[in-house]
Amino acid sequence: MIIQLTGIGIWTRGLTHFSTLLENTGIDPHAEYVIPAPVAIPARERRRAGHFINLAVEVAHQACEMAGVDKRTIPSVFTSALADTEISDYMCRKLAQNEKLLSPTQFHNSVHNAASGYWSISAQNRAPSTFVGGFDRSFGAGLLEATSQVVAFGTPVLLVGYDLATRSPFHEMLPIDVSLGVAMVLTPAHYVVSSTSMLTIRMNIVPKSGSSDSTRPGAHPMQSGLDLAHQSAQLQRGLKQVSTLAIDTPRSGHLWIELSRESGK
Amino acid sequence: MVFVNRYTLTSALGTGLVAMRAALRSGRGGLSQAQWPDCSIPCYLGVLPAALETAVTAEMDSRNNRMIDLALAQDGFADAIGALQQQLDPGRLGLVMGTSTSSIDRTESGYRSLDAAGRFTSPFIQPRVHSPHAPGVFVAERLGIDGPCMTVSAACASSAKVFATAKRWLDQDLVDAVVVGGADSICLSIIYGFHSLQLVSPDPCRPFSPDRTGISLGEAAGFALLTRNDNATGIRLSGAGESCDAYHMSSAHPEGLGARLSIERALKDAGLATTDIDYVNLHGTGTRANDEIEGKVCAMFNNSRTVLSATKGWTGHTLGAAGIVEAVIAMDALCTGLLPGTMNTRQSEAPFHLLLDNLERPTRHVLSNSFGFGGNNCSLVFSVA
Repeated sequence: MIIQLTGIGIWTRGLTHFSTLLENTGIDPHAEYVIPAPVAIPARERRRAGHFINLAVEVAHQACEMAGVDKRTIPSVFTSALADTEISDYMCRKLAQNEKLLSPTQFHNSVHNAASGYWSISAQNRAPSTFVGGFDRSFGAGLLEATSQVVAFGTPVLLVGYDLATRSPFHEMLPIDVSLGVAMVLTPAHYVVSSTSMLTIRMNIVPKSGSSDSTRPGAHPMQSGLDLAHQSAQLQRGLKQVSTLAIDTPRSGHLWIELSRESGK
Repeated sequence: MVFVNRYTLTSALGTGLVAMRAALRSGRGGLSQAQWPDCSIPCYLGVLPAALETAVTAEMDSRNNRMIDLALAQDGFADAIGALQQQLDPGRLGLVMGTSTSSIDRTESGYRSLDAAGRFTSPFIQPRVHSPHAPGVFVAERLGIDGPCMTVSAACASSAKVFATAKRWLDQDLVDAVVVGGADSICLSIIYGFHSLQLVSPDPCRPFSPDRTGISLGEAAGFALLTRNDNATGIRLSGAGESCDAYHMSSAHPEGLGARLSIERALKDAGLATTDIDYVNLHGTGTRANDEIEGKVCAMFNNSRTVLSATKGWTGHTLGAAGIVEAVIAMDALCTGLLPGTMNTRQSEAPFHLLLDNLERPTRHVLSNSFGFGGNNCSLVFSVA
């Protein structure tokens, strides 16, 4: 499947916009992680949204703005390894007590598609939206689902991968040292991308059986999304002509990806 | 074309399809007064009749996975997958699970015995259980599925959306067959969560009744095998439609804009009109607002052919499993001709033909609605092949 990558959103420690990679302004290694506060969420909803939701919605808007797509009509795929561990922790702690009263807001935010809900409200978007899990291979699961939607719908599709830094007891299950959100706008090959777009990367994605041997033990579940962003920035800056990447999907498959800069742009 | 090659369901109506059909025919619903450990909310629940006392592997044990294990053993489902695997390249069989609770039942239990440092203690040190993807991991390993695999979690639309994803994979020749499924089990999170929203009914739920008082929760696991060319059941997945409300996290759009879109997209995908649909399985949760809004939207089915019913009075609202539960009930009507009535509801003000009692008649096209938190909607159409 050949598609275009036309927008990227990023939020993590020291890196809060893809332009930092494009302009090579350098990542401050001593930066503290800052919780995003996306202004796109309407005030009524914003006071209810937690860190996990804000992380996803922030990078979703960044990617769509870079790609110049219509936020009201783009379908979306959200993916995370552990979902909202802050809310899971809150709920399970409360439910382990004798007095089990839960906050209704925390409960409705506990569904794994909560960020998809807040995103759709903030973008006034009624297109299909989903959340897929693939544990430590969630980014690959999300990329496979999003690519399949690009082909099915023939429109750009938004992919959002995000996981929070973990604390006990989730940290021992899958250690995640820093919160990271990465979003991408994947666009059909035939689509004419507006000339103002900052990013025009051609992706040839081939689903393959068997492990790619690329999964690094202890890597962030969204590391392959971050790698894709770094490679794309290097291509866009003309530092390389082609780049290849293998992204594991759940069970024994992976996606083999060849990246190149779109010709003539 | 996408065919339903085989399917199975385990719910409060019974273990497997034979039990489900017997319960539906005899009018024996699955709700009973709650007797759930550590639960003090007076309500009715649709609990599995099986005790689920046998652990699955130590690494993957949870109530949700025990229920999945039981469901896979029914109706020859696991055996049929094994036989299919003899014929397919391992990478050509995919898996899409749908869940809302995943194995949070196990996480809840683990929190009751954290150590002084706040870590899980044995037997709850189960990394792949405390994640939304737990059902996908468990089913893939149990059936030895090596192709594309993921777990959809979009609240109460989850295991309806698995059909939409699988249909795309088959249409694009990513795979030759897909196991789709859904599983959600009763746990304290859902009982106390819906209670916090004041949506849990003290009585068995009465969807679309003018005096309805809220939802009754339930649990279930179900599966279907979708293929591109094998037509064993005579049933086809003819259309799928998905949408968002873009309105509110836990309240449906007042005019049902998202619900209308998902129904219209499913009908368009199937190439059918509202008047072609013989039976609609409504989302029909039994809350005041949801049924009123779905009622307004489904007035589009007010014609001389279509009958509609809500079946959560039989099974309880099985949340992430509701999609597969109601897809199976609806598609089974294509085989048996049995259209289940709206259990517990004795009168209706719905602007369409709401079936109160069971009806038997030949059926060609059915539609099932699943609407979830986050304003996530999915409608499916199944047809006689």
